Amino acid sequence: MGELIDAHLLSMITFFPLGVGVLLLLSSGLSALVGGEGLPDPLWRALGFATTVITFLFSLRLFAAFTATETAYQFVEHAPWISDYGVNYFVGIDGISLMMVVMTTFLMPIALAASWTDIAKSVKSYVFFMLFLETGMLGAFVSLNLFQFYVFWEVMLIPMYFIIGIWGGPRRVYAAVKFFLFTMFGSLLMLVAILVVYYLSYQQTGVLGFDLVAPPGSDAPSLMDTLIPLTGQAVWWKTQFWLFAAFALAFAIKVPMVPFHTWLPDAHVEAPTAGSVILAGVLLKMGTYGFLRFGITLFPNASVELTPLLIGLALVGIVYGSLVAMVQGDIKKLVAYSSVAHLGFVMLGIFAFNVQGMTGGVLQMVNHGISTGALFLLVGMLYERRHTRMIEDFGGVAKPMPVYAACFGIVVMSSIGLPLLNGFVGEFLILLGTFLVYPLAAVIATSGVVLAAAYMLWMFRRVMFGPVEHPENRKLIDLGLREKLVMVTIIVPMFWIGLYPDPLLRRIEPAVIEIQRVMEARRVMPESQAAAEPVRAAAVWAPEARP
Amino acid sequence: MIKPPILDLSVLAPIGFVAIGAMLVLIGEVLLSRRKTFLGREVTEAWIGSVLAMIAMFWLVLSLYVACVTFAAGTSSVFNPDHPMIQLDPFAALVTAVLALGALLSCALAIGYLAELRINHGEFYALILLSTSGMMLMVASIDMLTLFLGLELMSIPIYVLAGFDRRKLRSNESALKYFIIGSFASALLLYGMALLYGASGSTSFAAIGAALDASNSMAMIGLGLVLVGFAFKISAVPFHQWTPDVYEGAPSVVTAFMSVTVKVTAFATLLRMLTLAFGGTEETLSHVFWVLAALTIVVGNVMAVIQDNIKRLLAYSSIAHAGYLLIGFVTGTIAGYSAVMFYLVAYLFMNLGAFGVVVTLANHGQEFERMDSLAGLARRRPGLAAVMTLFMVSLAGIPGTVGFIAKFGLFAAAVNAGYVGLTILGVLMSVVSVYYYLRVPVLMYMHEPTMESETLGVSTGEGVVLAFCAVGVLFFGFFPNGDNLHLLDWARDSVRFLFGA
Repeated sequence: MGELIDAHLLSMITFFPLGVGVLLLLSSGLSALVGGEGLPDPLWRALGFATTVITFLFSLRLFAAFTATETAYQFVEHAPWISDYGVNYFVGIDGISLMMVVMTTFLMPIALAASWTDIAKSVKSYVFFMLFLETGMLGAFVSLNLFQFYVFWEVMLIPMYFIIGIWGGPRRVYAAVKFFLFTMFGSLLMLVAILVVYYLSYQQTGVLGFDLVAPPGSDAPSLMDTLIPLTGQAVWWKTQFWLFAAFALAFAIKVPMVPFHTWLPDAHVEAPTAGSVILAGVLLKMGTYGFLRFGITLFPNASVELTPLLIGLALVGIVYGSLVAMVQGDIKKLVAYSSVAHLGFVMLGIFAFNVQGMTGGVLQMVNHGISTGALFLLVGMLYERRHTRMIEDFGGVAKPMPVYAACFGIVVMSSIGLPLLNGFVGEFLILLGTFLVYPLAAVIATSGVVLAAAYMLWMFRRVMFGPVEHPENRKLIDLGLREKLVMVTIIVPMFWIGLYPDPLLRRIEPAVIEIQRVMEARRVMPESQAAAEPVRAAAVWAPEARP
Repeated sequence: MIKPPILDLSVLAPIGFVAIGAMLVLIGEVLLSRRKTFLGREVTEAWIGSVLAMIAMFWLVLSLYVACVTFAAGTSSVFNPDHPMIQLDPFAALVTAVLALGALLSCALAIGYLAELRINHGEFYALILLSTSGMMLMVASIDMLTLFLGLELMSIPIYVLAGFDRRKLRSNESALKYFIIGSFASALLLYGMALLYGASGSTSFAAIGAALDASNSMAMIGLGLVLVGFAFKISAVPFHQWTPDVYEGAPSVVTAFMSVTVKVTAFATLLRMLTLAFGGTEETLSHVFWVLAALTIVVGNVMAVIQDNIKRLLAYSSIAHAGYLLIGFVTGTIAGYSAVMFYLVAYLFMNLGAFGVVVTLANHGQEFERMDSLAGLARRRPGLAAVMTLFMVSLAGIPGTVGFIAKFGLFAAAVNAGYVGLTILGVLMSVVSVYYYLRVPVLMYMHEPTMESETLGVSTGEGVVLAFCAVGVLFFGFFPNGDNLHLLDWARDSVRFLFGA
């Protein structure tokens, strides 16, 4: 039994939530057919919560069974799916995916627990969409087949769209549609790029396939094995540039990098608390993860070439995001813009292309998920009590709500990267890595750290301290048991990562080194570009002949 | 001595069954409507309607079965070997099966709908069957004469069907508009055929193909006119103006029927003509199709955005889909044509499903087709809202549905043939399409109901059709080439046959 579970652990983790969701839906449909009411709402909620907890336990098993020193993908499952197109069901994880999977499964039960009383209408659909969303996100993190990745990448938009659109704030429909269209725009262009990659690889190997790497025990050509021989030519170089641009656009919208970030404040502000937690915690990481897994490894030359641009955009994101966050009157919007800045740090780390920077980037992805997720939870708790999120409506909240204020304080410290807490480790590594290659960029980015401290602490002071000016705030009730448990659960890993990040770093580092190795191996230096064989130049782009 | 021709009647079997069904429905109606009781039970209009629908569906199932068997056997035979005009081959068999399925689902949808709208006349099923037999004749044609015969047999019943709700002004308008434009298109087509005949001295596709040559201006004008005739039928821009009005005015079940089957027929016939008759001019045609496809995709998608009637929205969406299908014609490759075939089957599931929901919404002699009437539907009828969302998602081409696989196949073929620019245009317009398709779930899930309505059940026929389409959309979305249903292979095999491979 244990072996069977281990052999299909990734599939189980991925599909368990959706499976339960579909079963719940079926039970509801069947009982409607016979005129029954179906399971009551609280039971749906409880079952949904239990499902996400079980998924998290499975992912802990994954974490424990993961071999940190191994560089190849682990827990691999490979099976033909649509063989005509070379589409396989291919899942596997390295240290980076592992972090993302564990973070996702960790945040899901928290999000569900946090929205226990918040979500009152259509509870059943809500639980279903959350479970659906979890499968979509996990699927994208474990996919090693480009087609399969694209399917999950798109599919997860649907539940998120409904979560924002049904349970969101007053401008929810606008936000949901904007979110959907922005992401769709990028990803459809990525689809065209995927198709071009697919046929380029076909022209070189004669095998149709979307597998990123060869499955273990096989030497079938994969996307990573192909594309190398042609790297030298000018034409292919141009192709690689456009392909990377298409991928990068899709990922940059999701990250989001300035100037593609405008969907984010809308989506975050309008989404219900749980939606914001997942959106910030997990969905944004899809972009940075996409860069790591697909963007820079498939197109190493183009990504190195475009690094100045991406670093520049990341820096703009850090400074601009922080400055805009500073002037926000709405706490949730402030947190949303702080996400733009934080994700800028992650991008900076990744595109430093050294072990410190990239490891820090991945760790910061996890940190941001936890810290910003926690911030959104806290904002949501306040909103539930006062139905406002404007800073000016508060002041002196620490008096009626001491526990809340303490939690908020810890989370704010974690978010601004105070030593001993998680944010520090990630930001330090990123800045270290960046400083080694782009000292100036590191200096500018450091100003972002200062700015972050400024806007976060300023907001914290205005909300928590001072006299209680609004009489409504005097009667605020402090956190209940459920809320306390939620906050403790999410604060514990902050300290853990801050004090002892080794278990995470140990697993991330080999994966990062492997990515760098693949990049170097597939990268052609400029001098050899000139020496490339002229014969191959003709075979670059030959459209299929008519029959 | 005159030698009697050796006729292969089995070639006509799928077409014949449907035609026989049409006759039996007509006779049955006359016999039944005169009686007060039948086998001891009272004869009501609704009962007659159901019985006639059953008769029609029985013959459609027979036709479907024969088509499937022929396809599985992979054989090809002509009706009269001396004068080959009708040929039942794997390609025709597959399209015939799709058409029979489309007609079958439309009949099932009609039972409840006609009763609700109080237009429960038996001729409905007879007209559907006659039209279907015309379509089947058209796709089996390898000669201009039978092609035109099939075209008219297909079109005339649909003109009548469009005006079937004869007390409604818009239905009449729709019928008249469709009739006039349709006749105009037929005339152009016929003129084109005449010129092709003049240029080649034959009406057979193969002979035209052999004689066709890009430098022969008479033949090229003929070819152009034939294409224009078809462009009307598939509502390619700029020959699309009739589509929204006709789709809107016709009774929803008729719209459901014609939006799918006419498109399948016209595209399939075009595929056969392109490979058989116009093979030599593909390079030239590819440019024509490029322009048509680009225009159709852009106009269809952009115009759909501003519609406030769900049937008009679906009409423009069907124009847009015609544009995507034309991408397959631009490529001219086996992969492109196979993708077209797959897309047509996918389109059957998702479009019939979407119109099926509109049909289901109609009650008490009223159609609810304004977008506002969908508001809050999820609260009133959650199941209906869920399947409608599924069909919209599939029409938008989002993964997990058959619509994605279909679009993916087309785009893949286009990229492989080197048409990256057209593909980029296609995907950008897909983003636009997402906007208007999403308006439907937005209204259903995120708005409060604007009107009071009692909760209504879904009639059995409608329920079965919607469930069938929904399962099809999901199943083929995940397993386009499953263990038993190799839809991708089937599409490719049928097209391979056309190319003679």
